[in-house]
Amino acid sequence: MKRAFTVLLIAVAVMGLLIAQEDIPVKLTLTMMVAGDQNMVDFFQYEIAPEFEKVYPNVKIKVVGTGPGDAGSQQIIQQLQLEKDSGKDKWAVDLVVIHETGAVWAIERGLIRQYTDFLTAKRLAIRNTDEMALGVNVDGYVMPMFHSQTAIAYNPRFVKDPPKSYAELVEWVKKNPGKFGYNGIKGGMSGVSFVFGWVYYKSKNTDILINGPYDKKYEEDWPQIYAELKEFNKYVTMTAGNAGTLDALNRGEIWMGPVWVDMFYTWMREGRMDPNIRIIILAPGMPGQPMHFAIPTKAANADYALKLVELVSSPKMQAKYIVERFNWYPAISDDFVTPYLTKDVLEKIYKDVKQADLLKYGKPMPLLPYKQDMQEAYEKWVEK
Amino acid sequence: MEVRNRIVGFLLILPAFLILALLYVYPLIRAIWMSFIKDGFLSLANYAKAFDIYSRDILYSVVITSVTVGFVLVLSILLASYLRFKEWRFLDIMYRLPLFIPFLIVGHAMRIFLAPHGTLNSLLTRILKVEELPGFSRSWIGLLWTFVWVMTPYAALIILGAFRALDSSYIEAARNLGASKGKIVFTVIIPMCKPSIMVAAILTFVRTISSLTILVMIGPNTPNMITVDMMFRINFFNDWGVANALGVISYLIVIVLAVYYLRFMAAERGGIKG
Repeated sequence: MKRAFTVLLIAVAVMGLLIAQEDIPVKLTLTMMVAGDQNMVDFFQYEIAPEFEKVYPNVKIKVVGTGPGDAGSQQIIQQLQLEKDSGKDKWAVDLVVIHETGAVWAIERGLIRQYTDFLTAKRLAIRNTDEMALGVNVDGYVMPMFHSQTAIAYNPRFVKDPPKSYAELVEWVKKNPGKFGYNGIKGGMSGVSFVFGWVYYKSKNTDILINGPYDKKYEEDWPQIYAELKEFNKYVTMTAGNAGTLDALNRGEIWMGPVWVDMFYTWMREGRMDPNIRIIILAPGMPGQPMHFAIPTKAANADYALKLVELVSSPKMQAKYIVERFNWYPAISDDFVTPYLTKDVLEKIYKDVKQADLLKYGKPMPLLPYKQDMQEAYEKWVEK
Repeated sequence: MEVRNRIVGFLLILPAFLILALLYVYPLIRAIWMSFIKDGFLSLANYAKAFDIYSRDILYSVVITSVTVGFVLVLSILLASYLRFKEWRFLDIMYRLPLFIPFLIVGHAMRIFLAPHGTLNSLLTRILKVEELPGFSRSWIGLLWTFVWVMTPYAALIILGAFRALDSSYIEAARNLGASKGKIVFTVIIPMCKPSIMVAAILTFVRTISSLTILVMIGPNTPNMITVDMMFRINFFNDWGVANALGVISYLIVIVLAVYYLRFMAAERGGIKG
């Protein structure tokens, strides 16, 4: 009897221990939704998740991709809105990666929270994209993951002395009709950025278009600006999307065209791009944009989400993944990133466009309402 | 007994009916409703904007689609007539091939094939010994070419089915009276298979006007078809109002056809009996 009692006691003690042990390292799944191409999803799934799970073995990262462009952000916003409308206390999404447009929409609808006060990496950011997005104050709500930039790619075999500004480009296309190509505004953001750059170049109110305030009166000179763009388009080839411009450059159909720098270098690294083609940012500047990390208002695992943002924003990770593997420009100042980069990588990604160029000519996207007006204006005055 | 039968009958169709109501009728009504809402109020602003910016695109959609249907009908009737008179297994299998290729692949393949320095032109420039040829990949010609390529097998399948189902005795009778093959096709086969040809035409129309992938891959940047504009409104402006207005406009275009089709069928059968 006594022996049986002892066994029972030990059994209870062991069970208690087992339960306690199970309890202490909280097992959880960190769900993140990512707007962007498949490469963004792969980046988190195969590169970041293993690194993070090494530090926090109790966490399992689940990545959901929603596709490229503002449409991808759009889907994330809809998902968060559904979570909000359901009235749940804990939302199923812990971390999102969205475009600036998405960030602005999310803040307007109260879908994301302020969190960057607790983020070390925020101090290393120098481009003020963490404070303003499309003219909206987003300070505290977002931390950039990287910056991407549009530039003009040109084939030095045909173009010995590329135009350095929009004004020179206008002259150039008249001498070389059909040899400059871009994808309009419905086939991807590289064309859209080119059009925004055009408006920045022509408008008297460029600063207001970028920083606000929004008022239709600052759009008064637009009919003239777009009429000139329509005239410019007569000398231009229309390509099929961001990839279409790169393809046409490769095939020699066009000699110049706007591209996303990261896409351009990635294609080159993978051997899909003529390695002789080079890039330049036109004066007075072309737009680029960051992708932002944001944490949903009622994320169940906001604490771990913050840790993940911290990890990706750290100089070493920015160097290894953001710059070296994916050819983006870093979210934080280059000064912190360069020590971790090899000479090869440094020379490649900063060969044509230096950080100084980026700071000088890398313009933000316009204020959201101006941005939409600019796109609609193109439909009305250029396409129609 | 009668009542019980009716209840059982109703229960039997209930699942199908519910699915239709939930997945089709409800979204349809919602889309129509949303097209009249602007900033939380009932208004026609979305339609005003849709017609202001996109009237040319709407017209373009109808024209491109109609021309596609025209080409598709001619080609598929030719193909079906040929196969009706002559058994050729190779062609019989080959013409169906495009049916099994996804639109995305077709779009991409055509865009490479028809690009200014694409496969077709690379070949032609070598044969013709010229420097440059214009590409068709971003023009209405390329678009039309691709649509016809994709849609013809589908229409041909329907039309050939009807041609083959036709009783041979009519054709033999005509032949005995000395009619040529062409004459038989035009005076006997086509008139007798008119309902099937109409079905093929309408299905081709609906499939063409609602397609998006091919347009995005190979269509010109401007003018564009309605579906691309809808995508653009949603993706770039988060503007469901105008997108839905455009959707309703394309419903209306298709409904015109549907009504015509029902009338036509009714006339063929001497009125719908019900």
